[in-house]
Amino acid sequence: MHHSKPSAGAVALALCLATAACKKAPPEPVTSTPDSFTCDPAAVPHAVALRRLSRHQYVNTVSELIRFADAADPDAVLSELGAVLAALPADTPLGPDKHYGAFTSLDQAIQQEHADGIYALALAAGKSLTSSPARLGALAGSCATDADPANDAACVADLIRRLGERALRRAITDADVAFYSQPAAKPPLGAADYADVVALLLSAPESLFFVESGADPTASPAPLGAYELASRISYHFWQTLPDEQLFARARSGELLTEAGYQAEVERVFADPRTRLALSSFYAEWLANTTLNGLDARLGTPVYDAIRGDFTPGPDTRQHLLDEVVDAARYYSFDTPGSFDDFFNSARSFGRTADVAQIYGIPPWDGVSPPPVAPGRSGLLTRPAFVATGSNDTRPIMKGVFIRKAILCDSIAPPPGNAAANPPPSSAHASTRQVVENLTQTGICASCHPLQINPLGFATENFDPLGRLRNKEPLFDDQGQPTGLVPIDTTSMPRVTFEDTSKSSGAGDLHAILTRSPKLHACFARQYFRFTFGRMEDGQKDGCALSDVKKALDAEAPLPEVLRAIALSPSFKTRSFQEVSP
Amino acid sequence: MSPRIDRRMMLRGALGFALAIPFLPSILPRSAQAGPMGSKRRRFVALSTEHGGIWQANMYPADATLTQTAKYAGREVRKGQLSAAVSGGVATLSPVLSAPSSALTAALAAKMNVLRGLDVTFYLAHNRGGRLGNYADNDGNLNQEQGLDHIPTIDQVMAWSPSFYGSLDTIKERSLVMGDDKLSWGYASPSSKSGAVQPLPAESDSLTLFNKIFSPPPDPSATRPPVVDLVLADYNRLRNGNRRLSQADKQRLDDYIQRLDELQRKIKVQASCSGVMVPTKTSTDEAQASSYPIDPEAQKRFWQLMNDVIVAAFSCDTCRIATLRIGDIFSTDPEDWHHGVAHQASTPDGVKEGILSASYQRVFSDVYLDLVTKLDAVQDPEGTVLDSAMVTWVQESGCSTHDPIEMPVVTAGGAAGSMVTGQYCDYRNLGSVGHVPSDTSAISSHTGLVYNQWLGSTLQLMGLSPSEYESGGNGGYGKLRLSTDSESWYPGYQKYGSAETAVMGEILPFLKV
Repeated sequence: MHHSKPSAGAVALALCLATAACKKAPPEPVTSTPDSFTCDPAAVPHAVALRRLSRHQYVNTVSELIRFADAADPDAVLSELGAVLAALPADTPLGPDKHYGAFTSLDQAIQQEHADGIYALALAAGKSLTSSPARLGALAGSCATDADPANDAACVADLIRRLGERALRRAITDADVAFYSQPAAKPPLGAADYADVVALLLSAPESLFFVESGADPTASPAPLGAYELASRISYHFWQTLPDEQLFARARSGELLTEAGYQAEVERVFADPRTRLALSSFYAEWLANTTLNGLDARLGTPVYDAIRGDFTPGPDTRQHLLDEVVDAARYYSFDTPGSFDDFFNSARSFGRTADVAQIYGIPPWDGVSPPPVAPGRSGLLTRPAFVATGSNDTRPIMKGVFIRKAILCDSIAPPPGNAAANPPPSSAHASTRQVVENLTQTGICASCHPLQINPLGFATENFDPLGRLRNKEPLFDDQGQPTGLVPIDTTSMPRVTFEDTSKSSGAGDLHAILTRSPKLHACFARQYFRFTFGRMEDGQKDGCALSDVKKALDAEAPLPEVLRAIALSPSFKTRSFQEVSP
Repeated sequence: MSPRIDRRMMLRGALGFALAIPFLPSILPRSAQAGPMGSKRRRFVALSTEHGGIWQANMYPADATLTQTAKYAGREVRKGQLSAAVSGGVATLSPVLSAPSSALTAALAAKMNVLRGLDVTFYLAHNRGGRLGNYADNDGNLNQEQGLDHIPTIDQVMAWSPSFYGSLDTIKERSLVMGDDKLSWGYASPSSKSGAVQPLPAESDSLTLFNKIFSPPPDPSATRPPVVDLVLADYNRLRNGNRRLSQADKQRLDDYIQRLDELQRKIKVQASCSGVMVPTKTSTDEAQASSYPIDPEAQKRFWQLMNDVIVAAFSCDTCRIATLRIGDIFSTDPEDWHHGVAHQASTPDGVKEGILSASYQRVFSDVYLDLVTKLDAVQDPEGTVLDSAMVTWVQESGCSTHDPIEMPVVTAGGAAGSMVTGQYCDYRNLGSVGHVPSDTSAISSHTGLVYNQWLGSTLQLMGLSPSEYESGGNGGYGKLRLSTDSESWYPGYQKYGSAETAVMGEILPFLKV
């Protein structure tokens, strides 16, 4: 609970789901989502009701506003705000499955902690930015620190127009100036007056919510206004507010032209901030939340016997997850390749000694071409997806991950007490044998042997710490060896139920998945969810989904794929229709 | 009445933030007598553990304890006096409910209840909010399409009830939500009971919780109006001035506006304690080590620091509700706990049940009893803080993991004189078998009264009237769902009828004073 590590319950649930899904005979408990999309330009996608900034976006936004407000010493101000920034409530990753492919952008809950935290942050920021004459001057100009009360009103108005445009992400009106200057209505003004103005701006509803009215105040759906487009671009690619050039293009209206818009998408994408921001997409999509800490069972007999002379540390789990994101970044930004290149890459991006030791090769220096790791054949053989941190590999869990995160399949919920008999460790049989014995009969047989286990069996040539193996060592409860059994990675993955292609192991599995249209369709869905902060509607969102999938199918470089969604008309319009609850 | 901090309090306080021992003598006289006029101040705690699956013989006192009977809901219900057997310095109500006799005293046992025979009437399996009434928060067994919507949990019903919080003058937080998430659920707009029903964020840092309930009081010399008044005005300006907002957009703004209303209220609160010492330790420090998941001593320290915050909050009346969802296993067992222990606990050899029961005994002794004894060491106008409270221990499942039959409930405190204590109560219908033991499962069970009745009883004992929370024509609290064809394997299937449902609105037998 208190760690980033999964609880035992989290690990179990997916197994429960997988196991329980097998109670009934067909209809199949594994349901494939459609693997193609049709763009109907007349379809009107739903809009999320008054979407709010994620925590990540809000923190970034406030940080940028501080840098704008005190260009001289923003780091000192941000340091002073560290505690209140840290106190802002975290978002919960949400999605069709709570373990795999969940995104924090889908968490739109409004809690008391939001109101409390944002208010405390706004007050602290106002106080900090006005805590000395130098800071006050940097914030509002010399008019705020001179002895002339006659210029105070204009001084505050100017501050509101400059800072307000960024905090509210729209043009500031005279009415806005009148409203936000209320805390500073009685010259001569002091630091506290300016502090309250800043606090009020940072607490404004438009600083927390994406308030979009469209360029046409009567149409629905309507094209977004220039400032709204600027925000969409910057919050998607940077996870923060627009920069000065985007604001300038919004003011001038250039963003409303196709050429002007495309030019800004290109520019923003090329900015290093995009690399950082879109890493969060990969990190959330591919988070193996059921991976235990690899050091949690150190000192227990069986685990110690399995790990041998390799001693994972407290950060090893995170290093494994980071390695996956590094791989995605490499193909998305460093040496752009197609999605299939990324998916089928056998290179190691492990920068740390522990990950390198798992791969059995030296660490990557981050500059040279990443080394090819022996025995690896793609994403699903990265240690983050084959390691467990426990005494056994988990073929069922691996299968569930592929079904849900990689193929966007759904697995029926558990009926009855189907999860009461998890696969136990065995001192005399391979993990595969144990799983097969458990699931090939009774209520489990209609599903596990057909649609879940085979996906996981394909990578059984990796041990519970993610290392390549050609035989599976067995131990008794005291960690004493009891045998060495062969590895069997052959299976029929049934990416779709009708697909009876046979696989000899991980290499074939990657090839079969790459041939399937489900792989690209699922990526399009996951990227859509991250982008729009909601689940897709296969029909109404068909245009945006198909724009991304077309780029994937054309094996376009990943930068082109990632930009495709921002160039989709859906990204630039909003529905204003009432939606029935 | 003078405050009294006894030696036990000081010793236990030293585990936490030196439990601000110095502050307690200086704060209790005023706060303890500052309750709302004409009403009794009540406090509520729900401590929750995962899985359940504790065999009846390990969880409950011996059947011989049940010396009194009564006819109720078409069955004979039973009760007896809770009395701990003491041997070798250990006091035992049951194998799980045992602790050092210095902690589990006869006087404390007299303030407890153990309840047996409370069932959720449909299959829940793994759930979180279900224990407190939000049955929809389960792992996909039932969902909205099947008519099961999320509803607030009882702690949040209390938190926003004027019957519970007659006065909010000293209340900095309406509730503290601790540990793992999704035990507590509430409306996005709780004061108007509108908007989405969503899980409340849970906090695992005791220092953060402490700072929420002991934030500095307003500066009395400050003359500037609080900015929050204008922030509220700004939200209303947008809500009422933008024609492009949909009704759903406006609901979102309303949700936030209600949060700002609550913030505005809290800013004006003057806590009844002063000179509170900031804790020198925080729970999250205990959880840093990689060994934490299998280090019950660290887990004990973690949760006792959380307990200290509850005691401080209740003592200073800055909060009266706390929920704790304990995901820690309180065991050194390195196995995959869920699969290797909890889901093997029903197997006849009883080996894994022994491990599971031992871990539950530690939760009882190290966490639940720690909290209860600390609360009992602080004086209130009428008895101790514990006497004003109902401290409940609820579990995810009944005597078998996944199965919500015979959901055990342990209580401590008299709910401000509303609840009879010192009893073991058994509401099972011994003529209605739930589970039948088999060669793969040692668990047997009998169906009892409906868990909704327990939830409703809790709300009534906490001062709420049924009209505040009942809905759908049913008594008690929570969705009533009796059966579906797809649940034909479930042992409680179709075993609840009018006998049980007709009494759901009543306070459970033996509990009402």
